[in-house]
Amino acid sequence: MEQAYDVVVIGAGNGGLSAAANMAKAGKKTLLVEQHNLPGGFATSFVRGRFEFEPSLHELCDVGSEEDPGDVRKLIEKTLGVKVDWLPVPEAYRLVTTDEGKDNLNVVMPFGVKEYVDQMEHYVPGSRPSMEKFFTLCEEILAALAYIGASGGKADSKVLMSEHANFLKCGGYSVERVLKSLHMPKKAQKILCAYWCYIGVSTDKLNFALFAAMLVKYLTKGAWIPRMRSHELSVAMDVRIRELGGDIWYNTRAERILTEDGRITGVRTARGDVKTRHVIACCSPNAVFGDMMDAKDVPPQQTRMVNARKFGPRGFVVYLGLNKTADEIGLEDYSYFIYASMDTVKEAARADGFNDHPMQATVCLNRANPGCSPDGTCIMSFTTFYNTDVWGEIAAEDYVAKKREIAEGLIRDFEKQIGVSLMPYIEEIEIATPVTMARYTCNPQGTMYAYTCGEWDTMLARLMMLKDDQIVPGIRFAGGYGPRIYGYGSTYMNGELTAKLTLADMKEAEK
Amino acid sequence: MSDFNFHVKPIGLFDMLHFKKMVPDRKQALENGSLDPVSGVYDANRLADLLHPKTQTLTIAEIIDHGELAKTFVLTGDSLAPFRAGQYLSVRLKIGASVLTRPYSISSSPMWVKEGKYALTIKRAADGFASGWILDNWKVGDEITVSGPEGNFYYEPLRDAKHVIGLAGGCGITPFLSMAYAIRDGAEDFRLTLLYGSRTECDILYRRELAEIEKATDKVKIVHILSDEQKDGYEYGFITAERIAKACGGEECSVFLCGPSAMYAFVDKEVEKLKLAAKFVRHELYAAPAAPGTLPGYEGDPGKTYTLTVKRFGETLGVPMAANETVLVALERAGIAAPSRCRGGECGWCRSRMESGDVFVPEKLDKRRMADVAAGYIHPCCSYPLSDVTIEIWPEQE
Repeated sequence: MEQAYDVVVIGAGNGGLSAAANMAKAGKKTLLVEQHNLPGGFATSFVRGRFEFEPSLHELCDVGSEEDPGDVRKLIEKTLGVKVDWLPVPEAYRLVTTDEGKDNLNVVMPFGVKEYVDQMEHYVPGSRPSMEKFFTLCEEILAALAYIGASGGKADSKVLMSEHANFLKCGGYSVERVLKSLHMPKKAQKILCAYWCYIGVSTDKLNFALFAAMLVKYLTKGAWIPRMRSHELSVAMDVRIRELGGDIWYNTRAERILTEDGRITGVRTARGDVKTRHVIACCSPNAVFGDMMDAKDVPPQQTRMVNARKFGPRGFVVYLGLNKTADEIGLEDYSYFIYASMDTVKEAARADGFNDHPMQATVCLNRANPGCSPDGTCIMSFTTFYNTDVWGEIAAEDYVAKKREIAEGLIRDFEKQIGVSLMPYIEEIEIATPVTMARYTCNPQGTMYAYTCGEWDTMLARLMMLKDDQIVPGIRFAGGYGPRIYGYGSTYMNGELTAKLTLADMKEAEK
Repeated sequence: MSDFNFHVKPIGLFDMLHFKKMVPDRKQALENGSLDPVSGVYDANRLADLLHPKTQTLTIAEIIDHGELAKTFVLTGDSLAPFRAGQYLSVRLKIGASVLTRPYSISSSPMWVKEGKYALTIKRAADGFASGWILDNWKVGDEITVSGPEGNFYYEPLRDAKHVIGLAGGCGITPFLSMAYAIRDGAEDFRLTLLYGSRTECDILYRRELAEIEKATDKVKIVHILSDEQKDGYEYGFITAERIAKACGGEECSVFLCGPSAMYAFVDKEVEKLKLAAKFVRHELYAAPAAPGTLPGYEGDPGKTYTLTVKRFGETLGVPMAANETVLVALERAGIAAPSRCRGGECGWCRSRMESGDVFVPEKLDKRRMADVAAGYIHPCCSYPLSDVTIEIWPEQE
């Protein structure tokens, strides 16, 4: 059985779904192959007893309301015609720090720039001028990023100099450096940086432009989740790809990328060889150039590039179905960040291995999605991360006990810091480790954040090097490994960007 | 653009250069990468493969007879996946022209895995298609293919009471036997009181083994209940609310149930009388009933035969499908290796896309994701056809 497609998309994660939908919409004959039996990668759901759990999504950035849509809503609804039942997240976050003595934080921050600045002034009197400066800078960064994104890697330095000077001045620096120079009070800096774990890079290495863009989009557009977990999004994309004429093969691993004279000729799957000249990979370059191609066919520059990059954080999540309501338990908020301190360098270093009281980003799903679980119950998830493959070193026979130990620690820390009781009400519990994520997504070491964007491998540098990064003609990367880095919104946008670039490749090839 | 002019001190006017360095810095860093062949192998992924193999090939090393009705098969293999007492293996079978799977609880101690062994205990079901065939055909030395360990019917200390009352009927003893071994061997730490219902003394599986475990640890207690025979040393009758309450002894307990559907029909009502919180009552899988005729809400005509159109990786097949069997069984009878594991609606491995047609899904077995229900995905293992049906399936790779 040999079939031919204009493009084969490997991996039905967010980037692969988005890329496949964009290619099919452009009229290209599209095949999407996925090794698992579900779409979405991390964007899925699972059922235990009376509960359907959200595995990974805390909140989608840049969705916005129907009246004031963000880029992600525009892409999903307007460009692709995918229908999703969105729910708004009520407040930005509660931030709690535990090891800073009298400087410990326990604050709740709202969405909305004005509201956020007001609330900051309430917690940190005198912070207003620096906060206003900060948000002015954020707006300029958004405008500049929009320009660079639209330029397809060909940003004109003259335009940047004349139109986006402030962006150029701060865009190369870390969050820590820029906030310091804004004379922002230390406490305000700490409160402002709560989202750092969403990128998983400490603020001394975290690119300011990226962080500022994320924060201001959360504040101006709010955060949103699909009503039926992220699986709703993934299934809606799956349905749309078929409507647009695309094919999806689940339980099908791409085994080899076939080449002739350095050009892609097809993809080998267990179902046979599929002819194609273009591959969009929503999987790691490590898998493509390590497993799917012979070393002799991989150009040295490509090998160096893969080996130079470092994996981002590997996630660990505890899911609880509780037989009490959020009100009964005393869970007031949707999103909780609990850190030992806002010294993010120390905090990130603690994630290099197993440590007591790891950081946690915790969600009570019912606070944004009241109907998500049966009456009288609620759903929580507790997430932490690891910067190394420390879970891979566990002996198979110790694995269950280790994951239970870490899970129990996260639950007990939450109980203590928030002052609630959870243990007696656990009706269902599931624990996902980096090993679980390696199992279902096949990501190397179970990384949830692809390659880290700390230090030199920033989103800005990737976007400005789109051309340089294309080494093997015919293969492009969507998903978290793509230029717009990882995270839900980013991966959908990566899919769109990669589809556009592939369409351009096709045009080029026709010439 | 605003009037505000941003400076990062002390670099001042030179700070744009910092931006310009981003690309050369990244280029340099990428060029510094090693030329070693890209590795596609990582520890976490290797551990994932060990814990969750897609398939395992096992050899039947020993067969133990339990009278005429049941046998234990001791299976050996290399680097077996560890399991939690109570989990099952999905066994792949080829019987005549049919290809099918059956889930069987592992009856051995989790500690056996270190010696490269699992045991499955299989009882001949009255109208069983697979169990009888296995008992009559599996021989020492045969190779069989099974899944990794699956299922969520196990003790979890963060969730369950420290004292578990196991309610077992007939062959439903197998996961509890594994739990009892696990407690004895120190792999699990909880107290297990087992109310084990059998028809007569002769029907009791593993009587000697259970007695030995009871002697070896004070954490396991066995109460045999015979329904068809009055005999000294055994309780007579059924697993009732009173007996369960007595076993609890007034303390907080989790009740675990495993047995044939006839047992659930009776014992579920008894458990209800105890008004336990849902978290303290856990069932092993309900297998989808062979026929839907008596299921609440079923309005189909079980006498009918429909056509099942199957799309599979670009090809299309048409096969007959009886209304009184599940869509999965129709696939299996036609020799189509569709994915399946639990056969009770729960695991989701058989998830398939229904393009057209109508099926009946018993409410109790409908564990589909909400978005799947909305988009017309079905779990064929517990879907009974009400019309001709077209589905797309994605058989797992061999």
